[in-house]
Order: sequence, then C-alpha cells, then structure tokens
Amino acid sequence: MLAFLGRRCLIAIPTIILISIFVFGLQKLLPGDPVLVMAGEERDPELIALLREKYRLNDPIPVQYAAWVGNIVQGDLGISLRTQQPVTALIAEKLPVTVQLAVMALIIALVIGIPAGVLSAYKKGTWIDWVANVVALSGLSVPNFWLGIMMILLVSVQLGWLPASGYVPLSEDPGQSIRTMLMPAFVLGTALAATLMRHTRSAMLGVLQSDYVRTARAKGMGEGTVLVKHALRNALVPIVTVTTLLFGELLAGAVLTEQIFTIPGFGKLVVDAVFNRDYAVVQGVVLCTGVAFIFLNILADATQRVLNPRMRQE
Amino acid sequence: MNDQPPLLEVRGLSVRIRGAARNLVDEVSLELNAGETLCVVGESGCGKSLTALALMGLLSDPPLQLMGGKALFRGQNLLSLKRHNLQQMRGDQVAMIFQEPMTSLNPSLRIGEQIAETVRRHRGVSTADARARALEMLERVRIPAAGARLDAYPHELSGGMRQRAMIAMALANDPAVLIADEPTTALDVTIQAQILELMRGLLAETGAALILITHDLGVVAEMADRVAVMYAGRIVEVGAARAIFEDPQHPYTIGLMSSMPSFGDSGARLVTIPGVVPSATAMPPGCRFAPRCPFVEDACGAQPAAKAVGSDHMVACVRAPLGVAA
Repeated sequence: MLAFLGRRCLIAIPTIILISIFVFGLQKLLPGDPVLVMAGEERDPELIALLREKYRLNDPIPVQYAAWVGNIVQGDLGISLRTQQPVTALIAEKLPVTVQLAVMALIIALVIGIPAGVLSAYKKGTWIDWVANVVALSGLSVPNFWLGIMMILLVSVQLGWLPASGYVPLSEDPGQSIRTMLMPAFVLGTALAATLMRHTRSAMLGVLQSDYVRTARAKGMGEGTVLVKHALRNALVPIVTVTTLLFGELLAGAVLTEQIFTIPGFGKLVVDAVFNRDYAVVQGVVLCTGVAFIFLNILADATQRVLNPRMRQE
Repeated sequence: MNDQPPLLEVRGLSVRIRGAARNLVDEVSLELNAGETLCVVGESGCGKSLTALALMGLLSDPPLQLMGGKALFRGQNLLSLKRHNLQQMRGDQVAMIFQEPMTSLNPSLRIGEQIAETVRRHRGVSTADARARALEMLERVRIPAAGARLDAYPHELSGGMRQRAMIAMALANDPAVLIADEPTTALDVTIQAQILELMRGLLAETGAALILITHDLGVVAEMADRVAVMYAGRIVEVGAARAIFEDPQHPYTIGLMSSMPSFGDSGARLVTIPGVVPSATAMPPGCRFAPRCPFVEDACGAQPAAKAVGSDHMVACVRAPLGVAA
C-alpha cells in the first residue's frame, strides 16, 4: 500500500506542473490589466511603468513563470494585489472554513444518499423507489439559493432554532460553530445526497442481480446481511469515486451558499478576487483546488484498493 | 426404501413469467428419497434450473412468479414458508450449488468468511468455531493448503477450486438435501470428473440426497440413482436410472438417448431430434413434444396423464407402455 501511495504521488507531480502552467497561462490570456486597476483613475504612465517593474511584468513570460514557481515552492503564493496580504495567509484563513462546511455537507449527503439509494434499488418499482426518485429529482432541481433562503425563513426567522448567518471558528466554540454551519451544510448536502442516491441506486441494481448475491440468499443469510455485507460492499467502488469528486467540488467553494449564509469561505474569496483581477489570489486558489483534487483522487484510489481485493494485485 | 415417504415431495410446481399465458415450469412433480441422487435432465431452457430455484425460494420475482404447487420436506411446504423460516431452511437443511463458480462467490470476501458466515448463521457458534469448521470443510473438499486458502479471495483460486469452495460452503451445515445446478458445466472435462467424484464421496459420507441438474447424459450415467427427464417445462419421464437408460418409453427420452454419440460409429452422422423446442409463447395445448414426435397421433392433442410402466418408472405419453422393446 505504501509503495502504491508513493508511486501515485510521483505520478501526480507532472500533473501538478501541468496545472501550474495552465493556471499561469490562463492569467496571461485573460483580458484586463491589473496594473491599470492599481494605478487608479489618473493612469500616470510613470506609476504604471513603476508597477510593471515592481511586479516584474516586463520580463519574458517563461522567466515570470520560473520566478512564480520558485516562490510557490518556498510557500510564497505572492501578495494580493488588492489587500496587500500574502495569498498564503488568505488561503490559510479561508480554507478551514470551507473544509468544515464541505465535511459537514458530505456527512449529511452520505447519511441521506446511500441508505436512500440502497433502499430504492432494493424496492425497485415500488412506491418507495418512486418516492425516493421524486425526492432526489427535487433535490437536484431546487436551486441552493432558494432552499437556503427558505430555510433561513423557516428555521431561523419563524422557529428561531439556528442562527441565520455568521461563522464561529471550530476552535473557539465547537458547539456554536457546528450550529451556525448546520443549515448551509444541509443545503449543500441535500443536493449532493440526490446525486449520491442516484449513483448508489444504479450500482446496487447491478450488484443485486449478481450470482454471489443469490449465493448469499441460498446460504440463508438475512436480507440485511445480503444488502449491506454482500451487495453494498461490492457497489461501493463507483460510489467512492463519485463521493470524492463531489467533495472536491465542495472544496472549490460553494459560492452562492456562502453568500446567502455570509460564510467567509473559499467561494467568496475567489469571486472577490476574480472581480478585482486579483491575479495572485485567483492563481493561488485555483492551484490549491487543483492539487486538492489530485490528492482526493489518490485517496479515492487507495480506498478502492481497500474495498476491492482484485485491485490489490500488482 | 420405497416404503418410507420420500424426503422431498414436489407436487404440481408451476412457474411463469408474470403476465405470460403459459407456464415455463408446468405441473412438475418429483420425489426425492433420503440419500439418493436424482438427476433432472433436459436441454437448455426446459425449466430445470427454474425448478431448482423455485424449490430454494430464489425465483427473482418479478419477473418470475410461482403459480402453484407444493414441495413437502420434513412436514413443511418449502414453497409457502415465511421468509424467516425459509432463511433458516436455506443453507442449513437444503443447500444449493450453482453453475458458475467464477461469479457465484463474493469477490470482496475471503473464502473462509464466506463459509464461516453460514455456519455462524445456522449453528450460532463462535467466530473461532465457525472458522475451524470452514477449515475442516476446505480440507474435506480436498483443497490443497486449506489453511492458507481460508484467507484467500475468490479471484486467487482456479475455477475448479472455487467450485470445491462452493461445495464446502453448501455442505458446511450437513444439509439433508443438496441441489446442484449444472455444477460442472463451466469446468474443464478433467476437473468435471474430479468434482463429480468428490461430490459422490461426500454424499456417501454425509448421507445427503442430491438433486443434480444437468444436460449431460454422461454425468447422469455416472451419478444418478433416479432420473427425471424434462421437456419444455414438464416432466415427461421419471424413474430408476437403469429403467430410463435401458427401457426409455417417452419418444423424447428415446431421442435423447440415441443422440448420445458413442465411440463405435465414428464417421456416422450424429442422431438428432428434428425440430426445435417450442417457445414459451407458442406451447402446443396437449403434449408439448407432439410437434417434434415421429409417432404423433390424434390423442396427443390432450395433455397425457403420467402412467406407471414399471415399479419405479412413470411416463407421460399416450403410447406408453410400449410393447416389447424394439
């Protein structure tokens, strides 16, 4: 397993380099000039020249790239053109917020999505399957911002159970932190639960037809054992893949949900940076998300190997 | 032995696809005596596997639907058991082996656990005792290095070894009845012989009765005490193996026997039964073999009753009993 992880991490290096070239190149291709934004209304040519010199924007592009990568390797993602804060510090500040939201949303999605998918596959063609599918379709169709606003109206304004917005760090007050995060996590989680339920259902439908499930029944195993130990275990491979990708998407930032619940996460950081042509922040965030995706994929592959003994053969 | 009531008595078992007009398994009646081997023969699609699955309560419903019948085993009707009682019966008193050893074992569970879980389920023993029983069973089906195989996954075993593991699993709780659905069809000929030999030995040791489903008359000749011949969902002839082989009465059985190639006549054309099995939607109303039968007569338009033509020999044909064998 260690050899496998080591090999996968080595293979990840060229991918990360490609992402960095892409991130860097995309910035150069985007219309707009951050120096003009920084120079303000007057656009003093001398100031513009000075700024270009300061940020080394006159160097050849490969040189700029090399300098950029050199800094990143040292943990320096640059300075935000707008707030003059180090990008690394900005990311370090926002990332825990987003990770907490993503993990809570994912737990909600798994707890709802997988049992619903298993049940609807097992009861295929009955009213249970029908209800599960209608609920899942609604979950996919209802926009997050609408569900978010409705939940604030009902749970916070009418019932007063949970705070409508805000953020408390987990380290400060874990209970309150989870309470403030519960509604946004639920809004995100239900949408993912729908996707997860559909994938679980189709994987289970395939597995429930298999000979070894019939063998398990022929041995006299109870339906619960047949479903979970014999069927779900073998259906987990596609489910793990989907779950990982969904988690990656959550990390990339849930812009609308963060706006509605005023959570200071990744989504808000990216949107602000894009609108202000804050190159360094956008680059830093995209790079960070890209690397996170790669490592999530490695994690998914490692999980598959644990689940599926046939994959363990070298 | 014939004075005792049969161990398993099937009466009028019928199965059809939900909403279909005709039964795929039609009024099948069988008797299985304690300790004997009953071979159910017939060509693909004649309903022999469906009969076995119906007895185990394993019909996938929908699309398949049990239309009626009884299967009396130790005073209980297997076909009307409550789910809980059926689960207690399956794998304990009645066990089954399937055709495809490659896909019938769970790919993500170790062999030992797959055997041990059925032991724990039915005997309520400890994990360690169940594992010991699994090891004992692997040794009894003569899997080499059985101790190491306990922790092997199915994909690490060959087809023949997997079928041995399936047999170990089925016999782990000493069932009174074992149902084997084409257990050797997917295996090499040499492995087939070994598996049949193994099964015969184990049955002799445990005293279990076997319903062996096969299309291979060579296997029947090797294994059977009694034979039931199925055609298009019905039993056309049933009786002691010797009687069926030496004095086949039903035109289909006669055709089946003469289509068996033998060494003497190399170069001669293989004997075949003309025509094809009628499809489930186009079953003739009377004898289902009538459209292919060389001896068909008007009376074949009605379903022929099963007639006794010997002490243990029943035939469903209007012409039976035949005169002195031609």
